[in-house]
Amino acid sequence: MELMFWWLLPAAALAAGAAAWTARRRRTPDARRRPAAHTERLTMLPEYQAALRRHRRWLAVAATAAASLLVSAAVAAARPVDITTTVPEQRNRDIMLCLDVSGSMSSADAAVVDVFAGLAREFDGERIGLTIFDSTGIQVFPLTDDYEYAQEQLALARDAFEGKPGTSGFLDGTWSGRGSSLIGDGLATCLSGFPRTGAGTAENGTPRSRSVVLATDNYVSGRPVMTLGQAAALAKDRTVRVYALNPGDLDYGSGEDQPGAQLRAAAETTGGAYYPLDSAEAVPGIVAAVEKTETAALKGAPQAVAADQPALPLGVAAVAGLVLCAALWRLRL
Amino acid sequence: MTSLLHRVKSKMAIFAHRKARGMLDGEYGSVFRGRSLDFDDLRAYVAGDEVRDIDWKATARHGSPLIRRYVAVRRQTVILVTDTGRNMAAVSRSGETKKDIAIMALGVTGYLAHRHGDVVGLVSGDAAATHTIPAKSGEAHLERLLRHVDGHTSLDSAASRLEDQLDHVARTVKGRNLLFVVADEVPASPAMGQVLRRLRAQHEILWLTIRDAELATAGGGQPGAGYFSVADSTVLPPGLASDASVAAAYADAAASRDHARRAMLRQAGVTEGTVDSSQDVITALFTLLERHRRAG
Repeated sequence: MELMFWWLLPAAALAAGAAAWTARRRRTPDARRRPAAHTERLTMLPEYQAALRRHRRWLAVAATAAASLLVSAAVAAARPVDITTTVPEQRNRDIMLCLDVSGSMSSADAAVVDVFAGLAREFDGERIGLTIFDSTGIQVFPLTDDYEYAQEQLALARDAFEGKPGTSGFLDGTWSGRGSSLIGDGLATCLSGFPRTGAGTAENGTPRSRSVVLATDNYVSGRPVMTLGQAAALAKDRTVRVYALNPGDLDYGSGEDQPGAQLRAAAETTGGAYYPLDSAEAVPGIVAAVEKTETAALKGAPQAVAADQPALPLGVAAVAGLVLCAALWRLRL
Repeated sequence: MTSLLHRVKSKMAIFAHRKARGMLDGEYGSVFRGRSLDFDDLRAYVAGDEVRDIDWKATARHGSPLIRRYVAVRRQTVILVTDTGRNMAAVSRSGETKKDIAIMALGVTGYLAHRHGDVVGLVSGDAAATHTIPAKSGEAHLERLLRHVDGHTSLDSAASRLEDQLDHVARTVKGRNLLFVVADEVPASPAMGQVLRRLRAQHEILWLTIRDAELATAGGGQPGAGYFSVADSTVLPPGLASDASVAAAYADAAASRDHARRAMLRQAGVTEGTVDSSQDVITALFTLLERHRRAG
């Protein structure tokens, strides 16, 4: 507990002292008060002395209440604040979910979408978008902070990935017959979903981090327009980090041309990471880890936050004011 | 400054119009008898004259009552005794300063004495000192006495102590005189009773009590600002005195205090009158003289 305008207290004390001194110096007897002789006629009465004691008690109460009203008002005016140091978590992330919807991926996609549907509930300031691709990329919804809509769409996506009846239309347009799982094209489509406002700065000047959660097994069949490497270079160029989730890491050996190794290399060139998945249940933990690294990357400078705490002094002032009113009423002043 | 005596005289003139003219003189003459057997003249009877002074033969001849007047054997001496302490600068029951009422009462009595041909002296003072102005005749002298009282009584004076003045009279004044004491509601005390009995053995004493301010009334009728004590300047907060229990206790205490003072004066053989305001001075004096004549 600290006082923001601490210098108000000595100033208030000085003012109160000056007022008291002036009142003391200028004290003149009440001209309407008249002289009376033989006042012992009244003052020696025990009843009068009892009444005088009561009167003095109430005067003391009034004086105490007035003093505490002054003090608490001065303290409240000096703005008592609680200063806490916080490291603000900057919530200006853009996350694009980039999901390969070829048949082998549906359980991993469902898990990713499910986790993000849960996360979207707690988002505040982040933007989230969903792009699905197979041979063609489809933007299901662009980067948005309309979390209700995003959740709705993510729920639809999950139903579609889980193969619920009547949801097959969700995946329409991802297959054009030019191949299947064109990863480089898909990633490029995802990258084009970010606004083109230069490297890493958003439209209002504050930097926003950009990340792509790319779920794919990197089994390309067909001829993509862009290779995965080109797309990764594009991502790096646009300062987009790619986090790759691979549910089917079936590499033979550690050759660099193996699909898993390629995906790992692509993700790591953008500053992201690569996570091979053993089962769909591991997705939430991985997404949490991704979230965490993104958050940690975006921790701002520690800031001192001052929270006003006027409740105590103002409460005391209110009580003292009420007591003062009661005492003045009792004293018939 | 207008003459204090002039004010007294105009008050008496108003009274004389209201009541029978000369009535006060008659009362005074009856009370302060100083007659010889030397017949002076006759004058018309006025209410208050001694019935035994009526010249019945002359009355029968004249058709209306006539009073025989005698040449006074000696001049009476009237000694005005009053308090010029701080107490008399306080307010009376009517709200006037008690000093003004005292001056009016002293002036009326002194003027009556002057008209009767008596000499008037003054013993006044406070706890610090007692002043004596020897008895003389004449309006100028009377004016001087009144001015002395007026000039010496203020809130800056010493405390009041009427016993000192009475004691001073007992110690210094010789012969049989008329004492006219103007005081406020002094408390009864054995010492005062003793000095009064001692004085009564030598003098005729008339005692006029100026009623002090009512400090507490049940209805809280007194004005807002209240009083301060002339003794030590303590303030009496007005709210306290209007409290019902305080007012009741005050009324009881005031009654017993009055009773004690009256008992003390009666025991000493002193006739007491009371006065609330300067309007009532002449009526009160008249009553006092009448009462004294009956008692005497």
